[in-house]
Amino acid sequence: MKELALYLGCTIPLKMPHLEKAFRDVASILDVKLKEMEGVSCCPEPVSLQSLNIDTWITLGARNLAIAEKMGLDILTVCSGCYETLKTVSVLLEEDDKYLEKIDKILKKINYHYTGKTKVYHFVELFSQPEWLEKIKSLTVKPLDDLTLAVHYGCHLVRPSKIMRFDHPEKPEKIDLILQALGAKTIEFANKLECCGFCARLQEEIGEKLVEDKMTELCELEEEVDALIAVCPACTTQYDRKEKLIARKTGKELDIPVLYLAEIMAVALGVDLQDLSLTNRSVKPNKLIEKLTI
Amino acid sequence: MVEMIKKQAKDLDHNFRYEISKKVGAKSLLNCIQCGVCSSGCTVTEYVDMQPHRVVASCLLGLKDEVLSSQAIWTCSLCHRCTERCPKNVDYSFILALLRNMCVKEGRIPKEYSGTVVTLYDNGFVVPYTGGLKDNIDRRRNRMGLPQLIPPNLDEIRLIIEETGLGDLAKKKEDEK
Repeated sequence: MKELALYLGCTIPLKMPHLEKAFRDVASILDVKLKEMEGVSCCPEPVSLQSLNIDTWITLGARNLAIAEKMGLDILTVCSGCYETLKTVSVLLEEDDKYLEKIDKILKKINYHYTGKTKVYHFVELFSQPEWLEKIKSLTVKPLDDLTLAVHYGCHLVRPSKIMRFDHPEKPEKIDLILQALGAKTIEFANKLECCGFCARLQEEIGEKLVEDKMTELCELEEEVDALIAVCPACTTQYDRKEKLIARKTGKELDIPVLYLAEIMAVALGVDLQDLSLTNRSVKPNKLIEKLTI
Repeated sequence: MVEMIKKQAKDLDHNFRYEISKKVGAKSLLNCIQCGVCSSGCTVTEYVDMQPHRVVASCLLGLKDEVLSSQAIWTCSLCHRCTERCPKNVDYSFILALLRNMCVKEGRIPKEYSGTVVTLYDNGFVVPYTGGLKDNIDRRRNRMGLPQLIPPNLDEIRLIIEETGLGDLAKKKEDEK
């Protein structure tokens, strides 16, 4: 396994460093070789920057890719938004020489040069490869045998598949595979592939409706769901905050905690619960923690 | 829902479709067969004033003003199901981004979208990272034993923003602060 450049983005390192901590713990246990990237900016964020100006979005993204290219490494992301931006930029520039030339002309003004070689991965993509699944299985010290988990893939991890080229765009399975390697049971449910609504910024009610539908379904399932697992800080926050808000508004008993994949991986791989900030969210995973401490 | 639009051929912008399709990635606009798969799978289909297949039809017809003034193009949640499922490979999410760019050039930007470039211009991140806020973030990271963040070179970020045409938007806001 070759070394990778770790691209953190903005939300995780600046607003949710406890997720970064969990990811670094996991990477260190699994012995993933990571190099820090110096001087990278926001990916930039795919929703508003792309909406304001596609060229700005692509050029800033290409600057980040150029930093990795200079290091001679491919990029590993920990957020689906960063993954979407950097992977889209990398694929577009790889396929369009004329556009690459135009972007590189701007980069040269700040002494960067991008030849279009950097590849971009999300950590799910890495850990769901057969050899890593085996490694995860063999290093699991606290199997999640008692847990039933629901997976939220989110949109940007898998779509559009002509760019992301990763998991099935309508029937993805990679996150389930990782959780199963940790011993957990994952469930199928009707709203599994629905969007979290975080990026629908104009109308708050869109996100609320989407979160309410998914969380209500999970609470009504015959089998008790211990947590919803997400791989993007935006989806994680969206479900956690809105779930609490909707419960208060509607009187519905919505109490499913939302965890970032690296957090639950860290638990199974033996990181002490004290070192993870599992209660640092709106819906506290008290029942889950109880189960994990038995 | 949508009001009936009555226009004479001379009032249509016949070049609008090519303004869009000349951009690499948006050429697929011309492939649309109006099957409606995009609209039936759209996450926000109940919330928009013009559903995706109607936005595409309006682009093809040359109803530029109606398209650029619709809230539909800013309501999208970017789930990419339209692009994924289109049997004619129309890349609706990308076309939408292009339409939003056109709105921005005309100064029509919802406030939910305009602030990001200002924060990015000032911080290099879309999360504020200066002064007291930076100190708090650094302290918190330090307590967790995380490595110190190296902020990006702002001159480089600003040059890119200016060179690609968003400088005015980023700076105008700065003056207003």
